[in-house]
Amino acid sequence: MNKLRGKSIVLLSFVFLYGCAQTNILDKVGLTTLVGYDIGAEEKIATTAVIREVNPEFQSNVEVLTTENDTSKGNRMDANRKLSKKIMVGQMRVILFGEDVAKDNLRYYIDTNLENASVSNGIYMAVVEGKAAPLLKYEYQNIEDIGQHIFRLIEQNVKQEYMISATLHQIAHDYYSIGKDLAMPIIKRDDELVELSGVALFKGGKMVSTLPAKDSFYVKIVRDTFKVGLYETVLEKEDIPSKFLQKPANKITVAFDAIHSNREMELVDIATPEFDLNIKIKSRVLEVFPDINQGDPKSVAGLEKAIEKNLTKEISRVIAHSQEVESDIFGFGEKYRSTVRHSKLTKDKWHEMYKNMKVNVNVDFVILRDGVFE
Amino acid sequence: MAKPIQLSPKEMINAYLLFFVVHGAQIGVGIQGFQRIIYQDARHDAWISVLLAGIATHIVTFCMIKTLEIYGSNDLYGIQINIFGKWIGNFLNAMYILYCFVAFFSVLRNYIEVIQAWIFPSIGTWFLSATLLIIIIYAFTGGLRVIVGVSFFSIILSLWIFPMLAFPMKYSTAASLLPILENDFRSILKGAHSMTFTIIGFEILNIIYPFVKDKKNVRKPVHLALLATTFIYLSVMMVSITYYSEGKLLKTIWATLTLFSFISFPFMERFEFVAVCFWMLIILPNLCFYLWAAYRGAIRLVNISGTTFVWLFSFFAFIGTILIQTRTQINTINTVFGQVAFYVVFVYPILLWLIAQLKKNFTAKKVKNNEQA
Amino acid sequence: MKFKLPFNKKQSAPIKEAPKENLVRVAHETDHFIQSIKNATNNPADLIIKTLPPNIALIYIDKLVDDQSLNNDIIANLQNNLYETPESLKVALSISEVNISSLLKETIDTMVNGSVVIHVDGYPQAIVANIASRESRALSAPENESQVIGTQVGFNESLSTNISLIRRYIVNPDLCNEKLKIGSRTNTSVSLLYMHGIANDQMVNTLRQRITDLTIDELLDSAVLAEMIDDNSLSVFPQMLLTERPDRFCDAILDGKVGVIVDGSSMAIVCPQSFTEFFQSQEDQNLRWQIATFVRLLRLTAFFLSVYLTPFYVAALTFHYEVIPQAFLVPLSESRALVPFPPIFEALLLEFIIELLREAGARLPTKIGQTIGIVGGIVIGTAAVQAGITSNILLIIIALSALASFTSPSYMMGNVIRLIRFPIIILAGFWGFYGIMLAFCFILIHLLRQSSLGAPYLSPFYPPRLKEMRDSIIRMPIPLTAKRPALTRPEDNNKFEPEPVKPEKS
Repeated sequence: MNKLRGKSIVLLSFVFLYGCAQTNILDKVGLTTLVGYDIGAEEKIATTAVIREVNPEFQSNVEVLTTENDTSKGNRMDANRKLSKKIMVGQMRVILFGEDVAKDNLRYYIDTNLENASVSNGIYMAVVEGKAAPLLKYEYQNIEDIGQHIFRLIEQNVKQEYMISATLHQIAHDYYSIGKDLAMPIIKRDDELVELSGVALFKGGKMVSTLPAKDSFYVKIVRDTFKVGLYETVLEKEDIPSKFLQKPANKITVAFDAIHSNREMELVDIATPEFDLNIKIKSRVLEVFPDINQGDPKSVAGLEKAIEKNLTKEISRVIAHSQEVESDIFGFGEKYRSTVRHSKLTKDKWHEMYKNMKVNVNVDFVILRDGVFE
Repeated sequence: MAKPIQLSPKEMINAYLLFFVVHGAQIGVGIQGFQRIIYQDARHDAWISVLLAGIATHIVTFCMIKTLEIYGSNDLYGIQINIFGKWIGNFLNAMYILYCFVAFFSVLRNYIEVIQAWIFPSIGTWFLSATLLIIIIYAFTGGLRVIVGVSFFSIILSLWIFPMLAFPMKYSTAASLLPILENDFRSILKGAHSMTFTIIGFEILNIIYPFVKDKKNVRKPVHLALLATTFIYLSVMMVSITYYSEGKLLKTIWATLTLFSFISFPFMERFEFVAVCFWMLIILPNLCFYLWAAYRGAIRLVNISGTTFVWLFSFFAFIGTILIQTRTQINTINTVFGQVAFYVVFVYPILLWLIAQLKKNFTAKKVKNNEQA
Repeated sequence: MKFKLPFNKKQSAPIKEAPKENLVRVAHETDHFIQSIKNATNNPADLIIKTLPPNIALIYIDKLVDDQSLNNDIIANLQNNLYETPESLKVALSISEVNISSLLKETIDTMVNGSVVIHVDGYPQAIVANIASRESRALSAPENESQVIGTQVGFNESLSTNISLIRRYIVNPDLCNEKLKIGSRTNTSVSLLYMHGIANDQMVNTLRQRITDLTIDELLDSAVLAEMIDDNSLSVFPQMLLTERPDRFCDAILDGKVGVIVDGSSMAIVCPQSFTEFFQSQEDQNLRWQIATFVRLLRLTAFFLSVYLTPFYVAALTFHYEVIPQAFLVPLSESRALVPFPPIFEALLLEFIIELLREAGARLPTKIGQTIGIVGGIVIGTAAVQAGITSNILLIIIALSALASFTSPSYMMGNVIRLIRFPIIILAGFWGFYGIMLAFCFILIHLLRQSSLGAPYLSPFYPPRLKEMRDSIIRMPIPLTAKRPALTRPEDNNKFEPEPVKPEKS
């Protein structure tokens, strides 16, 4: 019995060796860090992949490859044929869409990436002004690894709350949500640099419009709770009574740091529908030009009022713009769905209603403090 | 009355360990992806379904313990023989063993499927099933003490996964839960019914009861365990509903694992890869208890030693995992098993309790009559 | 070899038929007697026979007896006086342990043990006077279990010295000392020590029976005995503690454990011992509880690091490149770029080198051993990285896990940690995290299956005892540790009456 057991153990171990899994040894795979999608010739998908390879010379080099095929997996196979290492997507950080792809439909790209277990839900997505391939293929003087660079660029801006966050999870969440549309940052090449140039608004899976980068603050403030973020706005002369000013000026530039913001949506009228949007911002004023006497409570209150007025105007403008293109990136529909019982809401139905929606924006702006020098 | 099972104190376990037994037997593969199935029926009120299912487990367990208390120190197999007589009783026992086998098999196959889908698409099913079975055989041959120990450590060592739910909460929107009770009660109940596959496991109580030292204190740990399970399912469900949007949740097969997908630490990213493998520890008690329950039944039917039984059982399970290959087949088995389990776990114990109660009253009357006569 | 005994079975003393040769009596005539002794001991060169006229003969083995007491207490007494009978002679000897024996076998046994045999011509009896002097080194600091704070004395190879050391720590008549003999050829003395009134009788009986049931011909060290009386001798995990610290030994005995000391071995056996106790050091008791707790947590972390760090590296680099954070990605892949082997081979190679260094260091004399360790470590490590057969990150990981494995206060457990790493690395290299988890589950179940003298090995975690769990991972302040561990099932549960931590000022 014991002999038999010993033999069977040896046999088993051989059997197990046979059952060994397929390896993906780190230095033997080419890691795709970024993928850009464009529409190629004959409606094929043109994929531009930034692939990081490690060579025995202790240097990692970055390959930018463009392939055209019917599916993204087909593209991967094509790329494999051109590289010495197996291409893996598990370390992918950013997906870029060319403008033509974004204007077509993103559904396929969202699904195929969700399906793949090795693609993280935390990768960033963005739209490229024009085509993705030229942006990636351009030989930048100071950027060694374009994939890494774009990832850092987006990550840094999202963490600093300068730009709306668009991870795969959030995109898929909004795409499959009834009452919300997705929005993504837009990037473009600015000579030797890559720049976040705006926000793309989508209706369903189609990109319908863009907003300039400056407006991403308003989008963010309405979309979600804002914690740290620097913002600069220009107050018109009529917004602020001149008595607070130490020097008369036509325009006043204010830079502030929103420490905390809170947004509340309230559905006041189901039929129209009409929403109250109450936004509370607590902030720290960093810079006012020309100078304002901040020691005086009255002038501070005046400044607050002026900023409130200005913000209300700007936010209403951004919302109105999104209504024009029927892209509810703020999630009013979500609020509608969760408040109205048995609304039987669908995405198309909501887009119809969204056009005629009324929003009353109320901003409550509080200056908590300024710097350490008055 | 049936003969009570005689056991030496060394084989018995303390009542408070039942908490770990019941809780460990309940949580297993189901939790990895139950959200989608419940959501299909109950939409965003799915958490109410979970709650209802949790309450149902309490009711059923109450009946189970009542039934077991009538018989003092006996398990389901003994009770069935006592109530239905030798032939029907043994037939029911055989059916229950089959039920345990299918449950065992379904847990095993589902876990293998998860491993294959997430990390090793190319690894052989037979290999995964063989390795898991060897671990289970090793645990089983250690006896009940070891099995209960496995369930204890499985719970204690996986406690740290629960706080991980806080990470996805960052992206949660509470509004997704509203409006509460928008869906009609029927669909919510249907959702609760779909919970069966996920929430079963506590029926192990039927078998393990004679092994408990202080039978008076059984209630508290068992109900606490059910409460803990319901709480975990409820929180996972709540987080899932708020984290995913309607369409996305319906399309996500293993929503719990996907929840972990973007969790990253400074030393590690993609937490779900660790979680998928770590789940082995969570399903171990499931498998061990079903195997053990089947064994307890088998020794009543035939004279079989533990070693022979466990090898036979594993062999069949092994063959089964190889035969069932595709996702569709696995899903069919899950659905069918879930439906059968609903009757076995939720309906049958209540019936059994009623019958046992009636029989007890009847015999008591008879005895009384006899005494009077 | 398994020594699984039913735990609650009481010992039944086996009645042995004494072999015939044991009954041979001592001869009347001295010549006869001397001849029979010579025959029985195969006429060894160091057998000394001294005749003191007129009728007395002294027989002993050279260097086994104390020369001084032989001269002063025996020969001096015998030379000046004339004794007719063994009885009168016995009274005259100023030695504490003198017996009269009439059986030849018994006489020879005691002589081999270090007694002088005195035969008076014409009587069928012999006097045996025990003046044994055993060669033994002086007491020194424990080398394998050194501590910063605490006593600096360790056991040595002499049974009597060791017992006297223990008696110095525990001055109490309840300290029981049972003497047993093991080994049909070596006749090694083994002492069973426990506290009467604390130690569980069943455990003492079980252990006694396990020792007496052994049929072996030699017993040279306590480690051998420990392996043979373990609950599961086949397990890689030791189930009994080997310690060379008398303070640790005494602490364990006072907790209700049973100790075994083997003559000629400087390690004492303590059992039952739970898995977690292998990671506790006696020094923990001597430090403030916060510091001791920190050290214990450090050791626990070290254990997990040591066992799982290298496999984790292997698994992540072989299969799960997804889990590597981006910050590590570039340094990791660049350090691996030159390495021609897969990670599993690389890791095994380095682990092998580390083990080689350790083994070589242990075999060589202390001074050279240290040099080998440092030089070998630095030279081989740097050279291996430069030659491109390993990555420097792996080098750090391996060194870290080797270091961590040495934090275990028990050398035996440290060995286990180093050994079980190898199969886990192999599993990780073949099946990634799945393999690691497989190994983890296997070890967990294995530990659950073990017992130490019938007590659960994973106590106090399983079966769970919440109060004791606190005192295992963290060290509770001493006023809160009034209870003895339930592991030993002590007869007396309380060490002292639990009192409030700070008695109220009156």
